[in-house]
Amino acid sequence: MQYPDLIQPDGEAAAVEAHAVEVSEGASRTLWGDAFKRLRKNKLAIIAVVWIVFVALVAITADLWAPQLLGSPTAADTTAMATSSLLPPSLEHPFGTDVTGRDILVRVIYGARISLTVGLVATAISTVIGLVMGAIAAYYGGIFDTIIMRLADIFLAFPYVLFVLCLIAALGQSITNVFIAIGILGWPSIARVFRSAILSVKENDYVDAARAMGASDVRIIVRHIFPNSVASIVVYATMNIGSAILSEAAISFLGMGVQPPNPSWGIMIQDGQAYLMNAPWLMIMPGLAILSTVLAFTLLGDGLRDALDVKMKDA
Amino acid sequence: MAKKKQSYVDLKDQPVPEGSHLLEVDNLKMYFHTQDGVVHAVDGVSYTLDRGETLGVVGESGSGKSVTAKTLMGLIEMPPGKIEGGDARYRGKSLLKMTEEEMQHVRGNDIAMIFQDPMTSLNPVYKIGRQVGEGLRLHRGYSKKEALARAVELLDLVGIPEPEKRVNEYPHQFSGGMRQRVMIAMALACDPDILIADEPTTALDVTIQAQIIELMQEMQKKNGNAIIMITHDLGVVADMADKIMVMYAGRPVEFGTAEEIFYDSRHPYTWGLINSIPKQETDEKKPLTPIAGNPPSLVNLPSGCPFAPRCPYAVGICHEKLPEHITTESGHYSACHFADDPKFLAYAPETSRTRANLAARKAAGAQHAAKEA
Amino acid sequence: MAEKTPLLKVEHLSKDFPAESGVFAKRFARKVSAVNDVSFEIYPGETLGLVGESGCGKSTTGRTIMRLTNPTAGKVYFEGKDVAAMNKRELKEMRRNMQFIFQDPYASLNPRMTIGEIVSEPMTIHNVGTKEERMRTVRELLDVVGLNPEHINRYPHEFSGGQRQRIGIARAFALRPKLIICDEPVSALDVSIQAQVLNLLKDLQNRYGTAYLFIAHDLSVVQHISDRVAVMYLGKMVEISDWKTLYAEPHHPYTQSLLSAVPVPDPDIQKSRERIILAGDPPSPLDPPSGCRFHTRCPIAQGKCSQEAPEFREVKPGHFCACHFAEPFPIKQSSIEL
Repeated sequence: MQYPDLIQPDGEAAAVEAHAVEVSEGASRTLWGDAFKRLRKNKLAIIAVVWIVFVALVAITADLWAPQLLGSPTAADTTAMATSSLLPPSLEHPFGTDVTGRDILVRVIYGARISLTVGLVATAISTVIGLVMGAIAAYYGGIFDTIIMRLADIFLAFPYVLFVLCLIAALGQSITNVFIAIGILGWPSIARVFRSAILSVKENDYVDAARAMGASDVRIIVRHIFPNSVASIVVYATMNIGSAILSEAAISFLGMGVQPPNPSWGIMIQDGQAYLMNAPWLMIMPGLAILSTVLAFTLLGDGLRDALDVKMKDA
Repeated sequence: MAKKKQSYVDLKDQPVPEGSHLLEVDNLKMYFHTQDGVVHAVDGVSYTLDRGETLGVVGESGSGKSVTAKTLMGLIEMPPGKIEGGDARYRGKSLLKMTEEEMQHVRGNDIAMIFQDPMTSLNPVYKIGRQVGEGLRLHRGYSKKEALARAVELLDLVGIPEPEKRVNEYPHQFSGGMRQRVMIAMALACDPDILIADEPTTALDVTIQAQIIELMQEMQKKNGNAIIMITHDLGVVADMADKIMVMYAGRPVEFGTAEEIFYDSRHPYTWGLINSIPKQETDEKKPLTPIAGNPPSLVNLPSGCPFAPRCPYAVGICHEKLPEHITTESGHYSACHFADDPKFLAYAPETSRTRANLAARKAAGAQHAAKEA
Repeated sequence: MAEKTPLLKVEHLSKDFPAESGVFAKRFARKVSAVNDVSFEIYPGETLGLVGESGCGKSTTGRTIMRLTNPTAGKVYFEGKDVAAMNKRELKEMRRNMQFIFQDPYASLNPRMTIGEIVSEPMTIHNVGTKEERMRTVRELLDVVGLNPEHINRYPHEFSGGQRQRIGIARAFALRPKLIICDEPVSALDVSIQAQVLNLLKDLQNRYGTAYLFIAHDLSVVQHISDRVAVMYLGKMVEISDWKTLYAEPHHPYTQSLLSAVPVPDPDIQKSRERIILAGDPPSPLDPPSGCRFHTRCPIAQGKCSQEAPEFREVKPGHFCACHFAEPFPIKQSSIEL
């Protein structure tokens, strides 16, 4: 029997040999690429994405085809009122018609425009304010933290809908002001989430490591803290879109949001409530639209949470 | 409720069947079926254990040493886990074939386990006394009062000062070492046959480590229970284990008495583990001799001997053929192709005994030379 | 050593932390004295091992030297300059020459950065070389620490604990610093991987002449790499000496018990040697014992110990010990012979 020469593996040799048993081979992947891969495995999240994209496409392109096929979403003429008031769902009017004879499907489609815009714009406003406030509170701490967080507490302590209604009353009633009101009132929760994300990231040794290397505050925030806390914000903002949509519907339902004859899901439900017994589709159709869209954003948020978690291996 | 529990016959009161051992693990295989493939977490583990004995299970992280213990305790979720073969018999009864209800009587009552992290294995919202007495109420039908009284005795036994006061405290009021003592008191509450300790000292300071090991040995002397001590440091089990199983990549690569493992070791991985431990020298420093490379992924095991890529002595056959266990008369086995080749075994690390032999031989030689002169 | 000037000089360093935080903190101004009057020196190219149990202030000492936290009292001089008095520019310059290796190989690498970005970050911060030059240096460094330079674009989560620690070491060496503070760099690793990392650190020291402050909780790990060893207990330095003396004739009873607690992979020796197992837990640094802080657990404590804090005195040239009985007390032979 032939044995290899007795080489006691010293440090150097051991270190070099370590090459042999390296991490599994394969193309280098990026973290966001990885996250996308994991997201693709989550069936519910994919269904949610498909639904959101579908709703968005339909809403964006609506002008090109919807009025031609289904009639105007707003105009109500007397002939239509006479011939096609409160028709139940049929081939011609898949979602039925309302009391003035307008097609409900086309109104739901145009309502989606308002809902999606509200969701995105209001969330964008809340996120920007929330990020700045949260970052200041967490990074500088002390008196900044106390003031900002107490302010957030005060905002959160107010009855939400009442607060929005007051704000709209003060700003004046318009669609833009609905966006702004919902957006402004959304910041405290985003600020809280971002603040706690930063605080937990700040505890990590790699932040100390960067300081020990001589990195500046800006570099530490931009390169180390932000990329590691942004995931929670992406998740939270996604879910926030859903709740902004809900808020708009609620405010419009109360008559302080979008004004008739503009279609909004909230207004449509309010319109429909008088006919709940004899024409329930008036409420059910926009209700389903709200439900499915809000649910889709929540599911997507959940999916993103899992997908963006670095520690979740592919196993 | 209490009556029903008491009508249950404790397995530990039943005699060990003639010719068998307290615990017999026989070619146990448990694989995880994951999206990435089959993880061979436990692959052919065999050993026997009797009352009063201590088995040391040694290996690097990911070698399957903890998973083996959890498999015995029925603590592996199935799926993704699946028993792929073999058996584990406790007092002649297969642990793997027990129903969940039967298993619940075994856990804590017949076989108890303590974990590595004393900070997370106690529930922070319950008082210490309640947690220590819980097993007694569950398995023995003790009343609340009786359980608390016994908890005080147990805490006293494991060396916690002022136990009457401390039973009413919460885990966060205890230090790491004290919590590990509480864990031991909990594990010993029902006087189990077997105590499985999964790296019980790794999270503790050195001086506290020594206390905990001493305590475990003391308790074993008193109760006569068997201990399975899981660790990544051979040094820890040197003076407490009767038998040692060295695991690598889910497989036992060497098994024998402590004497055999330390003084007649027959596997290069065991040698590597012994050599990795810094030696206490006061004359000069030699570089440490680590094991090169990293443990393999259990999904893509290398062909042949799983240790071959890191083995400094690997030759062609090692990369091609999975070695069988080569067993000596005493039951000491090694999964190395060359385990029975005395020339190969000469590479084993120096120990106090080989040094003593060498010195004796030298002295004899010198004497001989002196006589000649 | 008189002819050499120390690279790092720590004089009477103390660090307190407030015990409570919040609105009422100031009213009960209780404080944890994490480090209390610690002094030592590190010379260029040497390794000082700093050993003690958790909570003894060894990590705080390292962090204070690096000025990751500010000292409560005492001075730290790096290359003769007072670290506490440095302005931003001087501090940045100092951090170029003093680097840190962390205990936790998982928390110390930013999971969102590639290995290349992580290892080159010190060079980026200090504007060393062009991007291409930096990447070339990173490849060299990865090769030196035993990683595949091809993995420069991978992320930390793709590596094992031992490999991550090598990445952290490569980062610490990127600027060829004069001093590296290693805060328990092997404590989180398996024994077999520990030895790899220790050898690597020793090799790199031989190659680049870097000095180390090597912090650990266990004497066995430190012995291999240290020229001198210091032992801390509850914020105080109890013994410091060159490694041979410390392991052969430890004077302080705490050092002796630490030494005897180190497990030896040889049952005969382990069973036969005398072991000093300390009773109880280390007391809380919130309320340290009077006199000698070790007296509550000390096997040889006498009346004097609870009243009078022992002086940190030189028992032999270069060998300091803080124990009333260090000299008259005949030291039990607890060094282990193999």
